[in-house]
Amino acid sequence: MMTTGQALGDANIATVETPSELEEGGLGLSPTMAALKRARKHHGLKIGFGILLVMAVFALFAPWLAPHDPYMQNLSLRMLPPVWNEGGNWEYLLGTDHLGRDYLSRLIHGARISMTIGLGAASIGAVIGVTLGLIAGYFGGWIDQAVNFLVTCQLAVPSLLLIMALVFVIGQSVTVVIFVIGATHWVFYLVVTRSATLRLRELDFVAAANAMGCSKFQIAVREVLPNLVNQIMVIFTLEVAVAILNEATLSFLGLGIPSPLPSWGLMIAEGKTAMFFQPWLVILPGIALFILVIAINLLGDGVRDVTVTNRRN
Amino acid sequence: MLNYVLRRGFMALLVALTVSFGTFALFHFATDPAQTIAGEDAPQEMVDEIREQYGFDRPVLVQYGDWLGGVLQGDFGRSYFWKQQVVELIQEHAKVTILLALSALMVTVVIALPLGISAALKPNSWVDRLALSTAVSAQAIPNFWLGLMFIILFAVTFPIFPVSGDATWKHYVLPSLVLGASSVPAVMRLTRTGLLDVLSSDYIRTARAKGFMGYRLILQQAMRNALLPIVSVLAVQLGHKLGGSVVTESVFSMNGLGRLAVESIFNSDIPTVQSLILIFVLTFVLLTLAADLINAWLDPRIRMG
Amino acid sequence: MRIRPPVPIGHCLIGLLALCVLPFHASAGPKDDTLVVALSKPLTTVDRLYSIQREGLILSRLTDDGLFFVDPDTLEFVPLAASSYEWVSDTELDVTVRDDVVFHDGSSLTAEDVVYTFEWVINEDSDTSRGPVIRSWLESVEKLAPGKVRFNLKLPYPMALRDMAISIPLRKQGTYDEAGDETDEQPLNGIGPYKVTAFSAGREIVLERFEDYYQASPKANPAIENMVFRVIPDQGTQQAELLSGGIDIMMDVPPDVADNVSHLPGVKRLEGNDIRIGYITLDAAGYVDPDSPFTKLKVRKAINHAINREEITKYLMRGSAEVVHFACHPRQFGCNADGPRYPYSPEKAKQLLAEAGYPDGFSFKLWAYREKIIAEAVVSNLKAIGLDVDLRFVKLNVFSKVRNSKDMQAFFASYGSGGTADASASTGVHFAANSARNYSGDEALADTVIAAEQTIDADQRKRLYRQALNRIAEQAYWAPMFSYSQNFLLTPELEFSVPKDGVPRFWQASWRQ
Repeated sequence: MMTTGQALGDANIATVETPSELEEGGLGLSPTMAALKRARKHHGLKIGFGILLVMAVFALFAPWLAPHDPYMQNLSLRMLPPVWNEGGNWEYLLGTDHLGRDYLSRLIHGARISMTIGLGAASIGAVIGVTLGLIAGYFGGWIDQAVNFLVTCQLAVPSLLLIMALVFVIGQSVTVVIFVIGATHWVFYLVVTRSATLRLRELDFVAAANAMGCSKFQIAVREVLPNLVNQIMVIFTLEVAVAILNEATLSFLGLGIPSPLPSWGLMIAEGKTAMFFQPWLVILPGIALFILVIAINLLGDGVRDVTVTNRRN
Repeated sequence: MLNYVLRRGFMALLVALTVSFGTFALFHFATDPAQTIAGEDAPQEMVDEIREQYGFDRPVLVQYGDWLGGVLQGDFGRSYFWKQQVVELIQEHAKVTILLALSALMVTVVIALPLGISAALKPNSWVDRLALSTAVSAQAIPNFWLGLMFIILFAVTFPIFPVSGDATWKHYVLPSLVLGASSVPAVMRLTRTGLLDVLSSDYIRTARAKGFMGYRLILQQAMRNALLPIVSVLAVQLGHKLGGSVVTESVFSMNGLGRLAVESIFNSDIPTVQSLILIFVLTFVLLTLAADLINAWLDPRIRMG
Repeated sequence: MRIRPPVPIGHCLIGLLALCVLPFHASAGPKDDTLVVALSKPLTTVDRLYSIQREGLILSRLTDDGLFFVDPDTLEFVPLAASSYEWVSDTELDVTVRDDVVFHDGSSLTAEDVVYTFEWVINEDSDTSRGPVIRSWLESVEKLAPGKVRFNLKLPYPMALRDMAISIPLRKQGTYDEAGDETDEQPLNGIGPYKVTAFSAGREIVLERFEDYYQASPKANPAIENMVFRVIPDQGTQQAELLSGGIDIMMDVPPDVADNVSHLPGVKRLEGNDIRIGYITLDAAGYVDPDSPFTKLKVRKAINHAINREEITKYLMRGSAEVVHFACHPRQFGCNADGPRYPYSPEKAKQLLAEAGYPDGFSFKLWAYREKIIAEAVVSNLKAIGLDVDLRFVKLNVFSKVRNSKDMQAFFASYGSGGTADASASTGVHFAANSARNYSGDEALADTVIAAEQTIDADQRKRLYRQALNRIAEQAYWAPMFSYSQNFLLTPELEFSVPKDGVPRFWQASWRQ
């Protein structure tokens, strides 16, 4: 059973700081302003953010940016190579797939799918994890033990297999995929929320005991909650990346997003039989996935670096 | 210590049972095993007969109990699709997965440990940055896509490794690289952090300051302390490899348990899927139990209490 | 549009890929006199009586013989293990069994064995896959004299020989007595030209020429001594194995793959007709929903107009595939309809939908289990006329379950008729009253189709089939689309001819001299 320490260690989250340390970091600025100041200097964060911005633009404005309708089937123009190969066509810059659909347009629309699923699944995981964490931390006792047991079960399950089985049984759709991935990736949220809740409970007692302790309580809240929010943000970015990769894998194996939706993972699967002769069908969506996920990771790492200053270095 | 072992062991078993029952119930409520067995052209009467004969109309808990009883005696049921005992199926396919998981773990260790150690020894140097950026990149590459790229690449530049099947040791090279690569970031980071911790501990710093030990000795001492927890993490990683085998075996067409699991889901072959999930969970749970025990053994507080 | 040749890099890739595989499989080909055939799907059993897979049919032609068989050239049913037969009456068939036939275990074929085999099949407890079909016409079978049996039919049934030829391999008396249907553990004891020497489900099946096979058989003296059927589900691996000599032949090759690989040296491509047809079935009877749009004729006609058969056949099926307008393969006896055809016209389709009361379309699920590309192309055609189609692409066993429980509003399927060049094998199978594939709900049609199977008068049968097929077209119960073209990729060392009915006959294969 993975211990809390290990789970936290994996996410490389640091410990709580005292208010004085926070102020120190920014020379009297509020924590947020201080963080933003540091962000401006963090290369990884800037690169990640930049790439993500571009991806988001593609995702949001896909119908206007894509040169063709990604679902438009044209059998007489199927399997065209990209424009730089012999037989390429400027109308279809990156060629066409097995049904004659423009690959560039499908790639652009694919960004939409990946990001929707990533954000959706991570959000659902957050809702579940934070809720359970609050419950476990607040009530304690056997409820806490029950929740911990649930965590252990979740960690023990081969999640990809379970997700596949669920999708197979319920049916393939974007909604199902989002929910199923989200429902199996809530553990990290729970861990940090629970410890924050526990800490709050401790301080609650102390404050109640001390009539003059309001200020201590308020300081504690000011100290614990922002740190919790920071940690959840970092976990969120981590989970978005994980969800995106999971969806790609599921769609590749045939139990994720259904066709004709242009999921990058599904596009790779569709191109696989022709992989040796039309390798771009497989290479291009993979590169897209790589760029998106690395951008998210860079952003996530950057956010963690700038918001949590007392990190072990 | 014994108390601890027993408690953890019991938990492990409970977890395995819960997950196993959950999957059982899931499948039984959603598919019709009688039809799957009867086959394509079977008339309705035959399907109903089979349902009665196999007892699919009894309550789920009873059916599960039955199945579990069988499992304890080594009978995992009969595959709906393969028309042979699941136990035999598992025996046929287990070897490939075990070999793959172990060699992937070796790959992870061989790549991640040196990287992590060098990074820890020279924090913030170019080695460190290289290690960290490798980690970040490796985490972003989809596992299955890396496999496909290897298949395309190794057919052109280095045609020395076969790209599918599992007949000889050479067939395991590429899949192990792919499966092992996915764990490299996590293990590397942990090695680095763990070693840094130890190196910055008072005990080592004092020794260094006083000029007592040579560099090499310090390293040996630090490693010894840092590596043991890493071993326990590796045990957990081995468990993850089982899950990872699903994708890797599918991409490289290897006849292992992971691929069998995928096929069985598509075939609605409930006994096989159930048994495989139970095996995966049990294996993972036992491995993490081992990891916990190693950690507990290291921590005197638990050992004594 | 001319199909562009693959970029040269493809040659290098697949060629060098083949080099990777080269050291590992070198036991195929004329040197070892072993024909290695790639199977895309695993075989769960070698016993034809319990198999529903097409791969099982192909294998069974090598390992088993029935009383009759399908002549590869004329596609007629002629005696095989039988030496002669006679219709004593409309419902009594006397068959004389050959006396020189030997089982793989060495024992001789006797009339008792024939009786045992058929009695086992019609026995309700035997659970054979063809049991229900045989039971529907065969009353009993009895031994009249040594080497002579009589079949007593329940009714006149012209397809009796067909069923016996395709579905009933002869088994030795007592084969199923001990283990029920668990014959997978024992080696298959058949009377065919090859015997099974090894069977590993999911891996491979090994056959060896049976030296005591009776000389008088048309299948006698096959040229190749050993055969191995190896399960290789992945297309890419099959291609690599073919080029490196690990396997000798690939069957059912998708047109794209066949096009790509056939340009490479060291590969021979064969292409030919197949009796298989592809079609969409619509839930006209309203089993899923009595008010479903598919119960309306105009909707069904709209669907027929919406599908661009010509483009799909030309670009996706290619080769010898042809557009098909009726519920049978053009080369089948009785397939001579002259009913309505539905030319491609999305405008007409939309108009019909509006007239039927669905100007904004409706949503439904289309099920399929093979040729995903075709299914996707059809979905795209249907979406273009405003329908909201959800494609449910699943494995065959899952597909069958849902179809047989009458739970599909529309499905894309294909049917190979077991290679039978007779409309009863296609139209009959799909529109008989108790058929799980019959979604028409049309009882009169079912009667017509059954009547065509209960008379031996060829002209009468043709009339009845024309009537039935026209009715199906008028009512648009189906959207028939195309006939298949089969592609084989093989090593140039192998001499092999494309079967006319889509069922490869490997005993006729030989090595090039």
